[in-house]
Formats: sequence, structure tokens, C-alpha cells
Amino acid sequence: MTDASLVESFAAAASAAGFRVHRGPPPQIEGAAVSNASFGLADTGSVVLASAPDEPRSRHLLADVHVSILDEARILPGLPELFAVVGEDLPSALAIVTGPSRSADIEQRLVVGVHGPRQVHVVLVS
Amino acid sequence: MPSVQLFATCLGDLVVPEAVVDAARLLREAGFDVEFPQAQVCCGQPAFNAGHHAAARRVGRTFVRAFHRGSPVVCPSGSCATMVDRYLPDLVGADRYDIWELSAFLDHHNAALQPCNAGRKLAYHDSCHMLRELCIADAPRRLLERSGAELVALPRPDLCCGFGGTFSVRQPELSVAMADDKLGGARAADALVTADPGCLMHLAGRAERTGGHMPVLHLATALARGIEA
Amino acid sequence: MKPFLAQPPGRFRARARAALANSQMQAAMDAATSRLHQRRLDAWDALQDVETLSERAHAIRMETVDGLDAYVAQFAAAAEAGGANVHVAATAADACTYVADVCRRRGAKLVAKAKSMLSEEIRLNDALAAIGVDAVETDLGEYVAQLAGEHPAHILAPALEKTAADIAELFARDGDPVEPELDALAAVARRRLRGVFENADVGITGANFAVAETGSICLVTNEGNGGLVTAVPPVHIALVGMERVVPRLADLAVLLQLLARSATGQQLSSYTRLLTGPRREEERDGPEELHVVIIDNGRTNLRRGRYREMLACIRCGACLNVCPVYRKAGGGSYSPVYSGPMGAVLVPLLVGLDKAPSLPHASSLCGACTAACPVKIPLHELLLDLRRDLVGDGVASRKERIAFQLWSLAWSRPRLYRLSTTAARALQPLASLAGPGRRWAAGRAIPRLQRRYRDR
Repeated sequence: MTDASLVESFAAAASAAGFRVHRGPPPQIEGAAVSNASFGLADTGSVVLASAPDEPRSRHLLADVHVSILDEARILPGLPELFAVVGEDLPSALAIVTGPSRSADIEQRLVVGVHGPRQVHVVLVS
Repeated sequence: MPSVQLFATCLGDLVVPEAVVDAARLLREAGFDVEFPQAQVCCGQPAFNAGHHAAARRVGRTFVRAFHRGSPVVCPSGSCATMVDRYLPDLVGADRYDIWELSAFLDHHNAALQPCNAGRKLAYHDSCHMLRELCIADAPRRLLERSGAELVALPRPDLCCGFGGTFSVRQPELSVAMADDKLGGARAADALVTADPGCLMHLAGRAERTGGHMPVLHLATALARGIEA
Repeated sequence: MKPFLAQPPGRFRARARAALANSQMQAAMDAATSRLHQRRLDAWDALQDVETLSERAHAIRMETVDGLDAYVAQFAAAAEAGGANVHVAATAADACTYVADVCRRRGAKLVAKAKSMLSEEIRLNDALAAIGVDAVETDLGEYVAQLAGEHPAHILAPALEKTAADIAELFARDGDPVEPELDALAAVARRRLRGVFENADVGITGANFAVAETGSICLVTNEGNGGLVTAVPPVHIALVGMERVVPRLADLAVLLQLLARSATGQQLSSYTRLLTGPRREEERDGPEELHVVIIDNGRTNLRRGRYREMLACIRCGACLNVCPVYRKAGGGSYSPVYSGPMGAVLVPLLVGLDKAPSLPHASSLCGACTAACPVKIPLHELLLDLRRDLVGDGVASRKERIAFQLWSLAWSRPRLYRLSTTAARALQPLASLAGPGRRWAAGRAIPRLQRRYRDR
């Protein structure tokens, strides 16, 4: 897959997974938590967040709105490729996020944002 | 004239003999000489599925003593065909048989059928062995359509009817509830058809008890005589 | 002491009868299982080649099972090298003691729990309550089940049988009245449970997988509670069934490609987390202490022999969603923790056939479970083998064994078959009076024995 088509696949899959995908400047949303994503996964539209001193592992969960900034060059095809890249040097917490927080525990009806953010955004930068 | 050996099965012999008569007739009309080895009894499945191997083996041996390997064996039961094909050889230490479930056999030989179901809406219930072990789902449907029927799909055709051999009496309430779901799903049809005597006995028994007017019949009967039979 | 998971002989049927009489539950079970079943079918269809992926997954699981001791040791070493405290617990009691000791040492009063069936299996919450520790379930469905004082009803949907009104009533017991509306209920749960995450002294989770190569724990959730439980409290204890070990990250990738698709039809759950060691230097959150408790509780007994295939289970719930018996009988009929086809196989294997003799027969052997399993466990064949063992081990009643023996003698010769069935025909009017005949006749017309085909 060419890089351009990886980005397109990612954008489509992330959208389908429930992210709002931005190609321009990041949205200004009051109270939103912002993280720098380590990677993106094109097949599932997932954002990969690695814990680090400046990236606390709870950041993407505590606020109601979360924004991930993702460099297009860091989009990988899928999980096998991700694990091949990070396997030697895993962070203490690697979160592969595929959409907002969801629960279907009340009458099997979907409710969003029980524990994590209700709204999730990805901003693609190059 | 080519020949087949007919395996009536114990339920066929005892409980739905008219379906076996219909099966024999269909085979003859398809151009086969039908041999009925009188020494047959049962394939041993009821005991086998209940975990009673020694008992199953003793009864399963009657099959090997009764049937030869000079011609295909045909039986109007998906579960018995599965038993004989998949489990009987290891159970009794015999070679495999060329055994066919009835609809697969008739379909394979392009049997011509009377259009006795013209204008009828029929629901067909896949018995579990036929569906999952023998993977025969299209043949019975094709035959029913060839007999003139319009097929009405059951909701959740993958769901078991609830017979399951001894399950039907170990968990009678669940068994009956599963039958109700199956019968309820066939409401839009004029009749419910199945190719397995076990499923038939269970569904027809429940239909009769609930006073429903849904005829439940064996595939052989539906093809040979139609649903008014 | 009778094992917690044990099911005395009549209980499955009795619970199933109660479930059948509960029309709300029947409707909920039907809707939930049908939906999840269809979603799995759609997700499997969308995969290029689910068969091949499934076979790979099966091979990975069997490689693990066949090398279990070595992979567990490799995992433990890698986890310890990464800063985790690893404890291998032979029994449920041993595991509970270890966890209780950690809690006592930390002066813990409140524990935040993310979903763990294993913690139910070992009855951890009871052990914690006994030392005055309040363990609150943070998975919404588990929280609801906990408030109701019940066991979870389904691997994936613990509060399957509850309505919004039920849940509103449960929430109102501990606080202000709340509207039985989805958003209102979710807001209450969010607020209350956020407080639990923030104040918990210890966070306890299960583990979907444990990677031997890297010593990592993999947690899969949709709600995000797994992330908060492992980010905020200063201590994280992960309970890992020893069969959850996976050799390599590359193997984990295969299993993750099947897990969510088979469970809910999603490509991946909202949160797939890989945790490797406690918080690192200069990190602002994450646990200071990470404990990994690897639990045996009967699993090693299975690792050789026919039934070792059951250790391949990845707890996706696909077999529950397809089972025609589970959807009517409900989870509680099988055992407090494991239900459906996987429960019917696993529980007798963990507690002994004599402690759960009805479970292998809590099935019509339709085979749908085997077809649905993403790691190709031949579930219905294992049920058949368990039935055989019930007879072989002498657990099946003598009455039943004698009945089948007599039947087989009568039907071993055509002439005896004739005689016995003629007699049966004569006795037919009596059939509904006792035993199997009576149980059949309670709901169905007795089939009329007619002139045999062979006599026509």
C-alpha cells in the first residue's frame, strides 16, 4: 500500500470507528485533552498512544473530548506492523484506541462516553 | 437397473413408517431398485450421543451385519447418515459405507418429481447434522421447489429445533420451548418440512399438543404425496 | 468444600425453567444474542479469509497449551525483568491470599475492579470483603450486576437481563432518583465510578492475554475502565488465567484480529491496551506497583489429553451467542461464572464431572458452537467426550446405564428388536406415566408406534 493510500484508508476507517478526522488545523474545543499519537493503524482506523513523561496514560480517558495529533508518516497498515515496530521497546502503557468509549450494557443499546471521552478527534499532520 | 439399500432407521421403522414408504417410492421413481435388508435395526446413535459407547457398539453392529457394500445405502435421516458415515466405522471397527441422506441422493441423480406442491408455501427446517456435518442444505430445498413449492424462509434457520436425542427428555422444558420457536417461525407457511425423523417426531408432537394446525411432515412425504398426505 | 462453580444435578433444569418463565429475560436474550451473532457473521464475512486466520489462531493456542509451563515461565521472567511482581497461584485460595496481602500491606480500603471473570471464579470480592476492603466493579454491566447482588449473565453483557428501569431503581438505592434514560443512567455511572477510580487504593483487572516474549498484559475493553483502573490507583494487580499466555507479540496480533470480531463484530474494541511494567521514571501516572498473579485453579490438569483444547478459549462469547440452549436457559443456569457451550465444557473440567454432571447434557449437540469458535475448539465433540466420561467414570446413574444396556441387548438382534418393539407398542398407553415418557408427554404428543415399515 502506498503512503497516500494508507492515509486515505486510515481516514476512512477512523471515521467509521467514530473519530472525527481533521486534515487541517486542530479543532479548538474547550476542555479537550490533546495527545500526540505514536502511530495510526490504517485497517482499523486506530490511534496508538504510548505512555511517556509528557504523555500520561490517563490523558485520553479523563476528558470528555480527546484530540490525537497524528503524523501521516506514522500510519502503519495494521497490528502486525505495529507490533513489529514497537516490540523491542514497549512503553509502560500502549493504548490502541479505536473510537470513543462505548458501552452496550444497558438493554444492549449503545451509550457513548461512560468512562472515557464521548468525542474523539484525530488531526492528521504531515 | 441400479440398486440401493434402504436404511429405514429405527424411528423411521417405528414412528414414521409412511415416510419410509414414501422414500422407497421416490427412489423407485428415480429409477432405482430398492433393497431392504431385513436384518437392519438401528445405527446406535441414541446411545452414542448419550455417551453409552458399549451400548452403541452392540447396536451399531447390526448395521454392519445387515448392509453390504455392493450398492449405496440411502436413508431418510440426516442424523443417521452422519452417524453411519462419520462415527460408526471407528465405533465398530468397520470400513466406511457409501451412505447417502435421501435428498442428497435424489438431488444428485436429478430425480424427476411430481409437482404435488404447486401453489403451496413450505418452510423447510434444516436438521443440525445435515446442516453442519453433512453440509446438505440446498438439495432438499431444490427438490421441494422442483415439486412446485414456494419456499418460505424460517427466521434463524440455524437454530436447533430442540430434539437432540436424550436432550428432549433430560431438558424437556427447554426442548419444548425450542420447538415452539421453530413452529412459531413457520407461521407464514402451509406446512413445515424436515428431513429427519427425530426433528419430525418432536416438532409434530409439539404441534399436535398445542392444537396448532401446522402440518409437520417428512421431506419424503412432502415430495411423494404433497402436504395434504 | 464444594467448589463455587459446582452445579448439582437438578439445578440447570430448575434454573432453565425459571428463565423460560421470565418473558423479559427471554426477549432480552433473544435480542442480544441474535444481534451479536449477526455482527460476528458480518465481521467474519468482511475478513479476507477467516478460515485461515482461525486455523492460525488455533495453532497459536495449541502451541501455547502444549508448551504451557515453558511459556508461563518465560512470561514470568520477562514481566519481572520489566519491574512487575509475579506470583503463580496454584489455587483460588492462594490467589486470593496474595491479593489480600497486597491490599493489607498498602492499607487499602477501596479497590477499583475492571472486568475479570477469573476474579469471579476465585471469588476475590468475597475474600476482599472479609478483610474490610470494598471492591467496586467499574464495568457498567458488572457494576449493575454487583448492585443487584447477582452474578454476570454473559461473558460480554453482564447485565443482559436488566431493563433501564431496573438499573434506575438500583442506582436510586445509593443516591438520588434517576430517570430510566440511557444518557441519565450513563451520567450517574460515570460520576460515581470516576470517584471510585480517583479514590481507589488498588486497581484490579483481569487479562485477555499475557505475552511471554515481552512480559506484557493485554487488556481489551470498550468502556475505557481498564485504562482508568490501571492509570490512576497506585497499585495494579492483574489476574491472569495461566492459559491466557501467548508466545509472541506477532501471535497476539492474530488473536486480536479475531477477538473483537468474534465477540461484538467490531474490528477492534475501543481500547486495546498493552501494559508492560509499572510506571516508569518521570511518568505522571500509572501504578507504582504492578502485580501479576498467574492462576492455575485446575487448568494445568487439563493440559495433557483430549480436553486440553479447551484451554485455547479466548473468552470471546461467540459460542454463547449462537447456542440455541443458552439463549433460552440464560447464563445463570450453567454456573455463576462460565456459561453457554464453553461453560458446559469448562466447568466440569475445572471442578470434576461429578460436581457438574448435568452440564455436558445441557446441549442438544447441534454443533453451532464449534462452527462459531474462532480458535476452532471442537466444543460439541468435547461435550460428547464428556458424556462418554460420565458413563465411563461411573457418574451417570446406574439406572441410566442399565437402561441403555438393556436397550442395546434388545436391539442387538433383529428378532429381539421385533419382540421388544411389539411389547412397547402394547405398553404404549402407559408411556406417559413415568420417566422419559412422562417428560416427553408433558409438552408433546407421544408418537404412536405403528405397523413397522419392515412389516409392510
